[in-house]
Amino acid sequence: MIANRGEIALRINRACQELGVSTVAIFSEPDRDSLHVRQADEAFCVGPGPSARSYLNIPNIISTALITGCDAVHPGYGFLAENARFAEICGDHGLTFIGPKPRVIALMGDKASAKRVVREAGVATTPGSGVLSSVEEAYEAAESIGYPLLLKATAGGGGRGMRVVRDAGELQRAYAGATAEAEASFKDGRVYIERLIRRPRHVEVQVFGDDFGNIVHLGERDCSVQKPSHQKIVEETPAPQLSESARAALHEMALRASRHVEYTNAGTLEFLVANDEVYFMEMNTRIQVEHPVTEMVYNIDLVKEQIRIASGEPLGYTQNDLRSRGHAIECRINAEDPRNNFAPAAGTVSKLVFPGGPGIRVDTHLYAGATIPPYYDSMIAKIVAFGDTRDVAIARMERALRETLVEGVHTTIELCLEVLAAREFREGRYDIEFLPNMLASVGGLSLR
Amino acid sequence: MSLHHAYVGIGTNEGDRARNVERALAALSDFGNVVRRSSLYRTEPWGKLDQPWFLNAVVLVETELPPLPLLGALHAIEDRLGRVRGDRWGPRTIDLDLLLYDEADIDENGVQVPHPRLRERAFALVPLAEIDDRFETLRDALPASDLAGVVRVEAESDKPMLQERISSVSERVRTLARFLADAGAVRVRVTRGDEDIEIAMRSRHATQEPEAPGRPASNVSSARIDTIKAELVGIFHLSRPAPVEGDLVDADRELGYVEALGIRTPVHSMGAGRLIGMPAVDGAPVEYGQPLFLLVRG
Repeated sequence: MIANRGEIALRINRACQELGVSTVAIFSEPDRDSLHVRQADEAFCVGPGPSARSYLNIPNIISTALITGCDAVHPGYGFLAENARFAEICGDHGLTFIGPKPRVIALMGDKASAKRVVREAGVATTPGSGVLSSVEEAYEAAESIGYPLLLKATAGGGGRGMRVVRDAGELQRAYAGATAEAEASFKDGRVYIERLIRRPRHVEVQVFGDDFGNIVHLGERDCSVQKPSHQKIVEETPAPQLSESARAALHEMALRASRHVEYTNAGTLEFLVANDEVYFMEMNTRIQVEHPVTEMVYNIDLVKEQIRIASGEPLGYTQNDLRSRGHAIECRINAEDPRNNFAPAAGTVSKLVFPGGPGIRVDTHLYAGATIPPYYDSMIAKIVAFGDTRDVAIARMERALRETLVEGVHTTIELCLEVLAAREFREGRYDIEFLPNMLASVGGLSLR
Repeated sequence: MSLHHAYVGIGTNEGDRARNVERALAALSDFGNVVRRSSLYRTEPWGKLDQPWFLNAVVLVETELPPLPLLGALHAIEDRLGRVRGDRWGPRTIDLDLLLYDEADIDENGVQVPHPRLRERAFALVPLAEIDDRFETLRDALPASDLAGVVRVEAESDKPMLQERISSVSERVRTLARFLADAGAVRVRVTRGDEDIEIAMRSRHATQEPEAPGRPASNVSSARIDTIKAELVGIFHLSRPAPVEGDLVDADRELGYVEALGIRTPVHSMGAGRLIGMPAVDGAPVEYGQPLFLLVRG
């Protein structure tokens, strides 16, 4: 049972076909003509367009799995992929959830408990305080953590209840402002202090574990090219301009944290990297959108591995057997308008040409005539370029993006080309401020 | 009184062909009773040779509809089923041809019955002759090369030929339903491993009963028809005593139920009306939005 839609549903279907495993797809009413519905062995409609009533409709999804005689459920990413309760319900009905154990999903899914757990394993997290009860406590915590720092609301989100504090002189006013704003926004005025890591890079490590305690990493991915909303646009592996000591520290920390929670199946640990210092941020207990870049350089099928491991097989290889070769870059093509604050663009694709040739891989559920429903994620394709070197991969990606034609909806193709052409990207010296700055700078982006 | 006999040819050359035929049969039962059906035949494309192979069958339908409304109904089914999956990608999912209508000889308003090219078409004559021996002579008059292009699909060899796997309960239920129809039996039960499937055939002659006299088709087409659809994915069952087509039902009659995760959720009539169609198969899986009952209101 493939409990997802779009390109990842197709990706899972492909892995199953190669393994000789029959598939059952689920779909919502507007997805009836979708490619994953056509290519699965069987398909069941589980609800109307809104995800809450279809792709998140646990009773209908479980019922479909049971009446069609499924053995296992692959959740993909998004939707129910990191829902510990769903994983548990699968188990209760005799269905194998393809992912880690529900206990581990719950533990690592909560950012606060994940940080606590990895600290137990000796992994560095962003230095920070507990919840502060007074401005005096704030001064005390600030002294030990060091300036500049961030005041953050416990219930926070979207930057509300957050203040940057450059020195002790700013603390009192910032504390009052942050607590008042947090109280007004979330009816919860509690705040805490975290060290401000300036211009960090977002680097993540792919891990894989089996039921026998074997855990390996499959290198890192640099995902620092992010929209202002923190959505990733371009990812690559290996991370460029990363010192070998920082790279080794990342891999080592990822393994240590994964071993500590007895992690099984595919997972990703996200880190902030600044000045060769590495801080754990959070863990994604599922397959990631950007997994293909890792597949390219390790010559491994991660989704097949997920299914194999979930069926109880051992990894069958150790860290020493794993060698990465070459360089891979992924560009996410979204149906959205970069000129208009990335407004999602639903509609019908009238013309469609995807690239090919050496070193290019395209994962997409799109076809000419396909309708993009307004209910779901705007990603319509992932283009992946592989090369022996980073320069070769970039050159291939550029010509692949130019070969690509999507008519009928706005896309991020031009934006990706701008990213690839930027000096910071060429030199491999970019951080999470890179794309927001590029979008903001007047004339810096020919799109605007 | 006004029951007519119509032979309808079914052809499909795209997707899960066997399932397309089943869906067409379910849809046909909204307009009449399918009283006889041929085996499935695999045939090479006729006319345009660049098309994929077809699965063909012929059924005998008892219907109240006059020829023109019946033809309209057949086109409506073609449209409805054709839209279901990727029609934009190629050949039509399902073709329905009105081959014969009683003893009528009609040529008006673009309607020609018997079908003008019936005599030349092996894919129609071979299944037709199987269920009505009056057509054996016509069939035998066809060139041997035409006949060779129409191969009966045996129940057992059916699946591998279609490259399908009987991998699910729904497939097995459909296979059993076909077996039941072929064998003319009313009830079959299969136990295998921890699986226990029982399928019963409901009466196909409801509209012949005195309390549900046949009515002119125009009444049916002008009245408001409500489709009661499944909200849950599960196994659909008719409630007992089982409703039959033609029944006048109360406002909150329980017509059936969907069994999902061990819970039975009843399906009610949602208002009074006459039951004119039951497209879902008793004991078979249903998906969200699948039509279960058709009711004429008022």
